[in-house]
Amino acid sequence: MNLIEVKDLRKVYRIDQERVVALNRVNLAIGEGEVCCILGTSGSGKSTLLNIMAGLEKPTRGQVLIGGEDITAMGERQLALFRQKNIGFIFQSYNLMPTLTAVENVAMPLMFRGMGKRERNKRAKVMLKAVGLGKRMKHKPTQMSGGQQQRVGIARAFVARPKIVFADEPTGNLDSHTTIEVMEMIVKMSREHGETLILVTHDREIACYADRIVHLVDGNIVSDTPNQSVIGQSEPASGKPASPETVSEAGEGAESAAPDENPPAAGGQQTPLAAI
Amino acid sequence: MKLKDMIVMCLSNLFKRKVRTLLTVMGVVIGTCAIVIMVSLGLGLQKSQEDALAQMGDLTVIQIYNYGNVTEQPLDDAMIENFRKIPNVVAVTPVFEPEEWRTVELSSGKYEFSSSIAGVDFDALVALGFETDAGEIPTEGDLDHVLLFGADAVYNFYNPKSRNGWMGRGDEPLVNVMEDKLTLTIGKKDYDNKKKQPTYKATCAAILTADYSKNPSPGWRVFMDIDALKKLEAEYKKFNGIKTDRNKVEAYQEVVVKVTDMKAVEAVEEVIKSYGFETNSMETIRKPMEEQARSQQMILGGLGAISLLVAALGITNTMVMSIYERTREIGVMKVLGCLISNIRAVFLMEAGTIGFMGGVVGVGISYGISFIINTVAAAGGGANDNMFGIGGMSIGGSSIIPWWLVVGALIFSTLVGLISGFSPANRAVKISALTAIRQE
Repeated sequence: MNLIEVKDLRKVYRIDQERVVALNRVNLAIGEGEVCCILGTSGSGKSTLLNIMAGLEKPTRGQVLIGGEDITAMGERQLALFRQKNIGFIFQSYNLMPTLTAVENVAMPLMFRGMGKRERNKRAKVMLKAVGLGKRMKHKPTQMSGGQQQRVGIARAFVARPKIVFADEPTGNLDSHTTIEVMEMIVKMSREHGETLILVTHDREIACYADRIVHLVDGNIVSDTPNQSVIGQSEPASGKPASPETVSEAGEGAESAAPDENPPAAGGQQTPLAAI
Repeated sequence: MKLKDMIVMCLSNLFKRKVRTLLTVMGVVIGTCAIVIMVSLGLGLQKSQEDALAQMGDLTVIQIYNYGNVTEQPLDDAMIENFRKIPNVVAVTPVFEPEEWRTVELSSGKYEFSSSIAGVDFDALVALGFETDAGEIPTEGDLDHVLLFGADAVYNFYNPKSRNGWMGRGDEPLVNVMEDKLTLTIGKKDYDNKKKQPTYKATCAAILTADYSKNPSPGWRVFMDIDALKKLEAEYKKFNGIKTDRNKVEAYQEVVVKVTDMKAVEAVEEVIKSYGFETNSMETIRKPMEEQARSQQMILGGLGAISLLVAALGITNTMVMSIYERTREIGVMKVLGCLISNIRAVFLMEAGTIGFMGGVVGVGISYGISFIINTVAAAGGGANDNMFGIGGMSIGGSSIIPWWLVVGALIFSTLVGLISGFSPANRAVKISALTAIRQE
């Protein structure tokens, strides 16, 4: 059974008198434990899709079922409770609370659930150690580098053991070296606990970390493929020729990710790489 | 979210913006101070007026005089029962004096008592708060020949055979009423009456403290139980062969009514007047004074209210500012699953805390200011105080802060905070999580 089912999703924005179709008619099913990447350029509707799937925005038409529940029909309170239980979020700009320490930031989703301070701090510390920030627990976000901040963000997203973690351009503000570190960590975390990860990005390199890549162009899904075929299909599918540079970068990303992270997919990934 | 976590969040948010919080609190402090001081001055004024009135007489006593009045219903025992049934009436006593002078004569050995004897209800005297210099006012048992002397009445014995029989106050009274033998003698109307006058042994149960604010005034009089005195009067009539006129209406000339408190006086007086009797109480003086004090209090309180209103605007401004600063924070909290009711609660708590802190500090400062006012007033008003023996009347009054003003000020300032924080809190709740996290 699919954990997330998106049915005939349509979103139209009204900007003054103009109607902008962000999502035309999207159908998508994502299974439990899947690492799915939604790939698209800016304006392709990928962020809108993510926001609707996370219950932050209402669609114009269509449904999003998560675990059989229609989240588009939920009220604000129900949604908040639903998010508390089921959803973790990783942001591009980290969005940590500037006045709270790393531990307090990580413990925040647990606090919203009403967990006591001792218990939630204990769990937050375990998470921080898992992301390699065992020595930075009492630091404030401003005392940390971007990569460290995002690792706090990752710890916060996973601390409550949500069913689904949404990551919206999680490495958009990071340099390429840190990007690899952070992406590996996100994927590792979600695999460890069998959590579904939905990754939204415009970067093919990042997309290579996923099991499955959904390519979105102008509010339509143009391709939905397992990872190994992403590079081969990307050029005709996107409609715009991807530069060779992008392709080779993607290859490098896959290379570093593949060997230790996902052995079953790794074999498949190597093939197109070898072809180039 | 747990309440504790919300409180911690609220306090840390306030602490984060120390200077702004402090300035906003200052606004509330000034507002609270203004209200508390103004109201306390008003209360002080009212209090000093009441004190002045209390010196003139008991404020909770209504006197009914009925000398020569003809009313539909007589002022008799039945009417007194009616009075007793009026709500808030504590005690009623007629002041009964025999129609004829010398109905009963009081003497001790060779000394005779020169003043009158009045019949009252002893229970009512207790309720009216009569105090004694010696002995106690008896309320049960045989009250037939028990007397209560006024503090001055003990000097009212004289020796009819001595030329210089009077003793003024300051010397020892001629008769020690508590110790010496007292005799009640039924009077002779006619000197030709040769029958032996009936006499009774009497005892004095208490000497009442001199207090000219008390009614019925003991003064130079001796009180007896009303029923006992009526019995003696009946005996007097029998002894002197006086026939009771059946058509004559038995009516008391004076009745004293005691009510629970000052506020009830007016209503009780209304009821008594509706029976057609003339009444007299301090209420007639007190009321216009109270109205004047009240209008002054309104003006003073109004001034305070305006400053608190300004403080409220300050709180609203601070909270709105803080929302703009925290838009992103609130958005992130929403995305991470914080209930909007929790967000609203935290905001309201912050506003309420500002109000409450302002209230606490404001009340504290008010106590200080009140102390200074009282000290200055006491020092400056000393000369004036002696003029009429009425303290505080001539100066602008003193400042009184009763507990309810403290509690009221705290509740009010907190409420002002909450109300000022209400619309900002709702605004915070309406922040779209999406736009909040999108802004860079």
